[in-house]
Amino acid sequence: MFAEVLFIAFAALSILGAIGLILFRHPMKGAMSLIVTMISLAGLYALLSAELIFVLQLIVYAGAIMSLIIFIIMFLNIQDNDLPIEEGRYLYLAGGIAVIIPIACFMIKVVKSIPAHQATIVGNGFGGVKEVGLVLFQDWLLPFEIVSLLLLVALIGAVVLAGKRRLLK
Amino acid sequence: MHDFLSLLPLVIITTGAILLMLLSAFESTKVEIASYISMGFYGVAFFVQLLIGCGPETTIFSETFNGMLVANNFSMAACLVILGCGFFTAISSHSYFKVNRFCTLEYYSIMMFSVCGMMLLTLTHELISAFIAIEIMSLAIYILVGYERKNVKATEAILKYLILGAFAGAFYTMGAALIYGGVGSTKFVEIAATLNIDKTISPLLLGGGFFIIVALLFKIAAFPFHSWVIDVYDGASAPITGFMATALKTAAFALFANFLALHTTMHDGWVTFLFYLAVFTMFGGNLIAIGQDNIKRMLAASGIVHSGYLLIALVAMNAEQFSGSVIAYYLAAYAIGTLGIFASLSYLGGEGEKRANFADFKGLAKVHPYSAAAITVFLLSMAGIPPTAGFMGKFYVITSAFSAGHIALAVLGIISSILSMWYYLRLIVNMYFHEATDTFEVQGRPLATAGTFVLVFFVFAIALYPVVV
Repeated sequence: MFAEVLFIAFAALSILGAIGLILFRHPMKGAMSLIVTMISLAGLYALLSAELIFVLQLIVYAGAIMSLIIFIIMFLNIQDNDLPIEEGRYLYLAGGIAVIIPIACFMIKVVKSIPAHQATIVGNGFGGVKEVGLVLFQDWLLPFEIVSLLLLVALIGAVVLAGKRRLLK
Repeated sequence: MHDFLSLLPLVIITTGAILLMLLSAFESTKVEIASYISMGFYGVAFFVQLLIGCGPETTIFSETFNGMLVANNFSMAACLVILGCGFFTAISSHSYFKVNRFCTLEYYSIMMFSVCGMMLLTLTHELISAFIAIEIMSLAIYILVGYERKNVKATEAILKYLILGAFAGAFYTMGAALIYGGVGSTKFVEIAATLNIDKTISPLLLGGGFFIIVALLFKIAAFPFHSWVIDVYDGASAPITGFMATALKTAAFALFANFLALHTTMHDGWVTFLFYLAVFTMFGGNLIAIGQDNIKRMLAASGIVHSGYLLIALVAMNAEQFSGSVIAYYLAAYAIGTLGIFASLSYLGGEGEKRANFADFKGLAKVHPYSAAAITVFLLSMAGIPPTAGFMGKFYVITSAFSAGHIALAVLGIISSILSMWYYLRLIVNMYFHEATDTFEVQGRPLATAGTFVLVFFVFAIALYPVVV
């Protein structure tokens, strides 16, 4: 019962944070509400006994990535008059909601079809570093390996798009 | 041993990409050398892939990779098309960057990485690996689209593509999560096993499939997710536009076909949906293409139409004994025509792609008769005039639709093909029936010219291949 209350609280918080991210005009407020989403997602992972993911979510996403984003926003020193005037943003918002409603109805139908299960706590160190490591390096070796290619592309891309470019003859 | 051989082309391309990445750290390496190196790697990988051929369907390293990679004839054909696209894009880039000087060595490295992602995408029979492969491919393409940092159009294109691509990625992961929730696995084999027992698509699988198909429709620029394609193709430099239009589409369709072919129930469940999508994609694309004055924008819109024909092939395919031959053949035929046009645009476009509109190519036939003839061949192939590869491709797609019983779809495909003549012939009329106002000077010794004529040869060679063999 207690877990259910926690779940609803975290879920509501994460959605509120996401809505705030879209609706706040100032990037700093948006970043702050994104942190709310990140932390409540960490809470949801904890409820699922995914210890490692919970810790990573807090350290990497809510910690490292968000501080980078906030650092950049502060670095740019964005004032209210730097922001573009968005006319008709509520019109676009209404349009977006109109598109999403049928998909949301569909999703609710899909979720309702999930058979009800009694939630039990999984044992045997599920979600710990060792278990995740074993699954990652045994069952999911290929995705793990090809992620290295993805990171390499991202790295070169950052150098190419943002770095100083020395043009060749 | 055969496992390793099936993986060898991918290994060669990855090695090439990393080698080029390392080389770009040296001051003394020239961009031209990098383009020759990448051409060499594409060529070697192409012939290795051709030599290995493919026997029966093999799961590559089924113990180590847990059956996530599967090589078959379809994946082999798709890989060949992708490697060919890489090779000819390297050739057109070589000429393009002689005039437009914003290239650095990383360009060829990133292009090879995107080819890695595409080849992985054709091989993978598992949703998570497929997602990573899609992201490798897309990330590399985003970078290539925005390579010319000073160009406002390119910057706009990369921003649009990146944000919409992130949406598609989010949809895909959502779909994969739902499928995992419904089946308990993301492997195609296990999804098929569940479908074998259930005989129907469960709501979770339906929702998951829907989101994955949405993401794939975005990648192939099908209705209603086609609107990004015009601006992005227009903003990217000509060789990259050609690469996106051909290689990326091949890889995305390979995954699409593999995903639908995993079980008959899966295919049957989505046929009606795909039927309407194919019709709207064809006619929507035609309507957009007719209104364009810019050649790249017209080709982008015609790419939407070709996605529509490929969707017909997906509707008509036999999921029971999936061979994908019709899809692979059409992709090859379309890739050759499109690559050819973009190769000729790369050397005829001039500095900063100043010749971009239909009107800019008036009287090309008087100045460069051979180039004009080559472009005519490519356009006729895309329009589907015999005896070109494009005709055979459309012929196979439409006959497969007939034999699968989708007669309405086949007829609509023919109508759309006739409509598309309008904008293909318009460029031909501009080239042949006007006096030349431009001198069309071509700088240097363009390798792309040679590439164009090789592609002209392939247009006829591929068309005659099924007749001769």
